[in-house]
Amino acid sequence: MSVYALETEALGVSFGRFRAVDGVSLKVAKGELRVLLGANGAGKTTLMDLISGRTRSTSGRVLLNGRDVTNLREYRIARAGIGRKFQIPSIFTGLTVRQNIEVAQSRYPGVFSNLRIGRSAADRARVEEVIDLVGLSDQMKTEAGTLSHGQIQWLELGMLMIQSPDVILLDEPTAGMTQAETGKTAAIINRLKGNHTMLVVEHDMAFVRDIAEKITVLHLGRVLAEGTVAEIESDAAVRAAYLGSQEISAC
Amino acid sequence: MTSLLTNYRIWAYLLFFAVLLALPLTGDDFWLNRVAKYLCFGMLGAAIALTWGYAGVLNLGQGLFFGLGAYAMAMPLKLASYTSLQQGSDQPVPDFMLWNAQPGASTDLCCITPGSWLWIPFQSQWFGVAMAIIAPVIVATLLGRLIFGQRISGVFVSIITLALVLLARLLLVDAQPLTNGFNGLTDLGYFNLFGTELDPYAVTTYYVITIALIVVLVLARLLVATRAGTVLQATRDSQTRALYLGYDVPAYQTFFFAVSAAISGLAGMLYVVVAEFASPSFLDLTFSVSMVVWAAVGGRGSILGACIGAILINVLEARASETEALVEAWKAIVGLVFVLVVIWLPQGLGGFAHDMMRRLTGRRRPESLKQEVRQ
Repeated sequence: MSVYALETEALGVSFGRFRAVDGVSLKVAKGELRVLLGANGAGKTTLMDLISGRTRSTSGRVLLNGRDVTNLREYRIARAGIGRKFQIPSIFTGLTVRQNIEVAQSRYPGVFSNLRIGRSAADRARVEEVIDLVGLSDQMKTEAGTLSHGQIQWLELGMLMIQSPDVILLDEPTAGMTQAETGKTAAIINRLKGNHTMLVVEHDMAFVRDIAEKITVLHLGRVLAEGTVAEIESDAAVRAAYLGSQEISAC
Repeated sequence: MTSLLTNYRIWAYLLFFAVLLALPLTGDDFWLNRVAKYLCFGMLGAAIALTWGYAGVLNLGQGLFFGLGAYAMAMPLKLASYTSLQQGSDQPVPDFMLWNAQPGASTDLCCITPGSWLWIPFQSQWFGVAMAIIAPVIVATLLGRLIFGQRISGVFVSIITLALVLLARLLLVDAQPLTNGFNGLTDLGYFNLFGTELDPYAVTTYYVITIALIVVLVLARLLVATRAGTVLQATRDSQTRALYLGYDVPAYQTFFFAVSAAISGLAGMLYVVVAEFASPSFLDLTFSVSMVVWAAVGGRGSILGACIGAILINVLEARASETEALVEAWKAIVGLVFVLVVIWLPQGLGGFAHDMMRRLTGRRRPESLKQEVRQ
């Protein structure tokens, strides 16, 4: 077994002649929370797409606990243990909050093993516990499509929580949130920390300081810098890339 | 769901079953035969609700599965017909095959016309019954694997299924020596159910179909209540989310597509028993579109609603077309009813009933859902 939960080895993809992700190598230790930073178009979301199988990579490998999961189909990667929250929240709008969480409790993913009604008391208790953790207990029977933006984000986090994958990919979990909502989201994420390995894309530096241990900065599809929050904030190359300079406009 | 909510649903089913079972008390055999046909259409409504309402897959070629079931049943019934016994050969041979045969050809089922050997196993009625279910399931499974495996969704599924039913219709008409082409299979015999001949106008036949419908509705309702049923509805809302939770979405879609096909095949099979014919018109586009209309009026989100919708529209059509004042206008009336329902009750009659019950029990349906179904 590898000590790293998630590794990418020179992972890359080109769309035509454009290399959106260009040989990114990451090593994320078990239980670590890694934040991905980068300007628009740096390849953060594409990197997540490559890891989770949404986009097929053209070079490099993805290893999950040392096991090669490169370019497997999405549901196979999910079963192997990578969960993902999307930038645009993705939930089941026609189902109730409870049903959403129940569907995420996907211990038996096959069709025929699911031809049964009801679930065990332990499973039900776990569903209620998770709903409670994300603060939606009052909305248990509410149709998910009618929830507020923040609640939808928490519901999706709750779905990840009960799915309980080894590695969780979070794409901008606080996008469009109020400050209070952001605070609550940070609390939920901190709760996930330790039990799960996480890779988080985020722009909100205040939020990043709240949750981050180690940061990787991507720029034009490559790793620009890696280090703690303090190291990254004082890094000259990062400042140049973020604030703009000859280097960027030349590309 | 609260127990109250579950209760009124169960009561709706029980009430409907009670009405069906009590209908022969009217003593009108002619109407009973008609209603039996409409019950078969009711199964089609339920089948459409299963795929369209629960899986978000609009199949515009459901007639293909109905047609397969119908022909699989019509073949043994054709062989059981007196017309097949009077052709001067020792075993039954369909009359149209003799009309199509080359002069001097053997009058044996094996080789009277090209491909006529395909009829040999259909000498057994139970083989026909089995094929009426198995053939649609096989076709649906292959088709589902192909369509859903390629991540085809939305309107493209509708276009493919639509094209497919028309293609199948063309082949059916073209295979005249085997299928009697345009004319279809007529002059059919009776189905022999463990010694009882199912006369289309007999009360027994009506009950056989009623019980089949009850079984279909109960099983379909239980099926969508399983965890797999919830996952299916989840894939309707977000395929991506379901995939990332580790569900093989195409497998779920294909499974329920096949179940819907099996129900349609059964409906086609039973329809032939009461209607005494099978024809390429079952694969007409208008028929497949009609099924969708029935389900939309009845409420695609409700298995029972879609089933009742199918039955009601057909009763309405029959009544209107027989009323002298409406002979010319009945089609317009049915069309108007459809337009009004879609505008005012986007969830159909089933959704309307559901709303009413919620209101009575003090719950309100969220506004968002009403808007969502309009898209």
